[in-house]
Amino acid sequence: MVTFLNQYGGQLMQELGEHIYISAVALALGVIVAVPLGILLTRAKKIAGFVIGLTSVLQTIPAMALLAMMIPIFGIGTTPAIVALFIYSLMPILRNTYIGMSDVNPNLLDAAKGMGMSNWQSIKWVEFPQAAGVIMSGIRLSGTYVIAWTALASYIGAGGLGDMIFNGLNLYRGDLILGGSIPAIILALVVDWLLGLVEKKVTPATTQEV
Amino acid sequence: MQGMNLWQQLVYYFTHNGQYILDQFNRHFLISIYGVIIAAIVGIPIGVYISRHRHLAAWVVGAANVIQTVPSLAMVSIIMLGLGLGVNTVILTVFLYSLLPIIKNTDTGMRNVNPDILDAGKGMGMTRWQILRQIELPLSLSVIMAGLRNALVLAIGVTAIGSFVGAGGLGDIIIRGTNATSGGAIILAGALPTALMAIISDGVLGYLERHFAARTQ
Amino acid sequence: MKKTLFNKLTFLFAGVLAVVFLGGCSFSWPGLAGTSADTIKIGSQNTTEQQIMANMIQQMIQHYDKDTPTTILNNLGSGNVSFQAQKRGDTDMTAIRYNGTDYQTVLDLSGETDPKIVNDQVFKLMQLRYHMTYFPSYGFADTYQFMVSQKYAKANNLKTISDMKRVAPDMKVGIDQIWANRRGDGYSAFQNTYGFSFGHVYPMQIGLVYDALEAGKMDAVLGYSTDGRIRSYNLKLLQDDKHFFPPYKASVVVNDAALKAHPKLKGILSRLNGKINLTTMQELNYQVDNNLVEPAVAAQQFLEKHNYFEKGAD
Repeated sequence: MVTFLNQYGGQLMQELGEHIYISAVALALGVIVAVPLGILLTRAKKIAGFVIGLTSVLQTIPAMALLAMMIPIFGIGTTPAIVALFIYSLMPILRNTYIGMSDVNPNLLDAAKGMGMSNWQSIKWVEFPQAAGVIMSGIRLSGTYVIAWTALASYIGAGGLGDMIFNGLNLYRGDLILGGSIPAIILALVVDWLLGLVEKKVTPATTQEV
Repeated sequence: MQGMNLWQQLVYYFTHNGQYILDQFNRHFLISIYGVIIAAIVGIPIGVYISRHRHLAAWVVGAANVIQTVPSLAMVSIIMLGLGLGVNTVILTVFLYSLLPIIKNTDTGMRNVNPDILDAGKGMGMTRWQILRQIELPLSLSVIMAGLRNALVLAIGVTAIGSFVGAGGLGDIIIRGTNATSGGAIILAGALPTALMAIISDGVLGYLERHFAARTQ
Repeated sequence: MKKTLFNKLTFLFAGVLAVVFLGGCSFSWPGLAGTSADTIKIGSQNTTEQQIMANMIQQMIQHYDKDTPTTILNNLGSGNVSFQAQKRGDTDMTAIRYNGTDYQTVLDLSGETDPKIVNDQVFKLMQLRYHMTYFPSYGFADTYQFMVSQKYAKANNLKTISDMKRVAPDMKVGIDQIWANRRGDGYSAFQNTYGFSFGHVYPMQIGLVYDALEAGKMDAVLGYSTDGRIRSYNLKLLQDDKHFFPPYKASVVVNDAALKAHPKLKGILSRLNGKINLTTMQELNYQVDNNLVEPAVAAQQFLEKHNYFEKGAD
């Protein structure tokens, strides 16, 4: 263990850094695109079904297939990996944003209208805070997905902890396999736990399950 | 081949290697479905059991949840160290990932059965086994089906990764594409059927799910 | 009505099982029973020629011993993985082993470059230490070979590896994914023998190095001599003037236990001895790497053309 860390510690830290970087960028892009899109869809219910259906089809595509399909388009490296992972992160966030915003108690909406709030004010002060918990649980789900698939993205040259796992697979070295896998597992569990904390925090008392 | 564009190459590839793609498609599907079926055989009884023993539910679902969070490449690689290269490793991985959706949905389905109907069953003098078989399971079928659907879609993705430990399947074609000149067409020839398999499985099981839901309402 | 629902479930389940069963049979897989004890498991590394030979072996066995199920374990990442897999019985054989590689990395020997002595030692020691039988070579060797474009060779007057010494500090060189960390004939030993190192080395999937060279992204690459793209791109091969790389004659290597369990196996595999020379292998590789033909299909076409070597000779 100690000798392993001595020899591979530096490499491990670098790959862990890449892993977090790729996951974070993909997830952040997912949030930036999916949350506003989800809100927009609640104002355009006609196309909502179509858009959500489309993203759930994209979600169904196995990650390895999606990652590989990036090669003919974007080549090899970090960019295609981030694009693929971004596509993956969309669906849970989009769906949860849409559901969360749609499920806001209609009485609250009426009250907001009665108070003379504009559409935008209603979203900002009433609907979004009410939906925050549900949206956050979508982000949490996307977060764990993205971390898992980033491990695979090493295969198209993106770097990250997958490099060490694949090196272990290619050389039949258990120490490298475990050395890459265990940090990846811990990272996934920690992020899941942290985002879970945020989710609890932003969930308004009124919508929490009693 | 340099004279052709990507789509022409793809068509060329399909016409020259059709049987091989079909073979890998079948192999891929079988590996996935075996894992899911074993998970169903194990997971549905567990789901039924924890729906009756609530104190276990949080613990079991929590454990399955942790398994679900493990990146699949890490899981396949670690299991490979124990079980060796080949199909068994991949089927075990698929099995582990399939457990959570199946257990969770069975549990949910069983608990959502209307207690009035259960009482009616009891009143008619049915045994617990009869109630399970003739009331609870049929009424939870749609929810259980939704779990199987999640599991199978996940399984198809995991099996693709299984190509890295020698199990074969469509992942083989994808990997080979990354090694060949103008491999883009080969990559697509592996990736598109994989995606299609997942989308179709999702659609078909989704249809069954709605079908059973309509029946029970 | 509840009853019929339950019956439906039973039907569905039976239906799924039936599909599984039929699927398993109609495509003549050992129904995925690469798990059944009598299945012959053929290991194949992740290079094109390994996959072609693995498929050729599988089809030969299917042709001559119809009752024995076979399966291919594909994409093994290196000679070490395929060796370990064979040692622990995950596979019964490896489609191609290269005696020069096994001499250095598996048997941990060094110093000998005489092909005949290497050959004999590898044969003896693999049998003795690991109970594996090295078959006579298919008839080709796959050697690490430095290659450059004709233009680059002319501009820098390169004929041998030693000639690169002057320009090496500025060179970008593409290599496969394991050479940098390989013992015996790897990069560090190379530096000792030739006394220079390259400006940059780029590990990549071996299939990509030829295109990288052709596209001018690399100045030189360390390729494999059997690749068909060497000829189609008209690459200049640099002579190994210090005889650093050992001979890598290609053979199938089978566990003795498998030869014992399947008495026909030895005869079947022997039909391929000496049947595939360098040009043939280059052509087969080219079909797969450049012409969108799957290894399985290339193998089948080749075997059909030669009637599966029916009379043991072509």
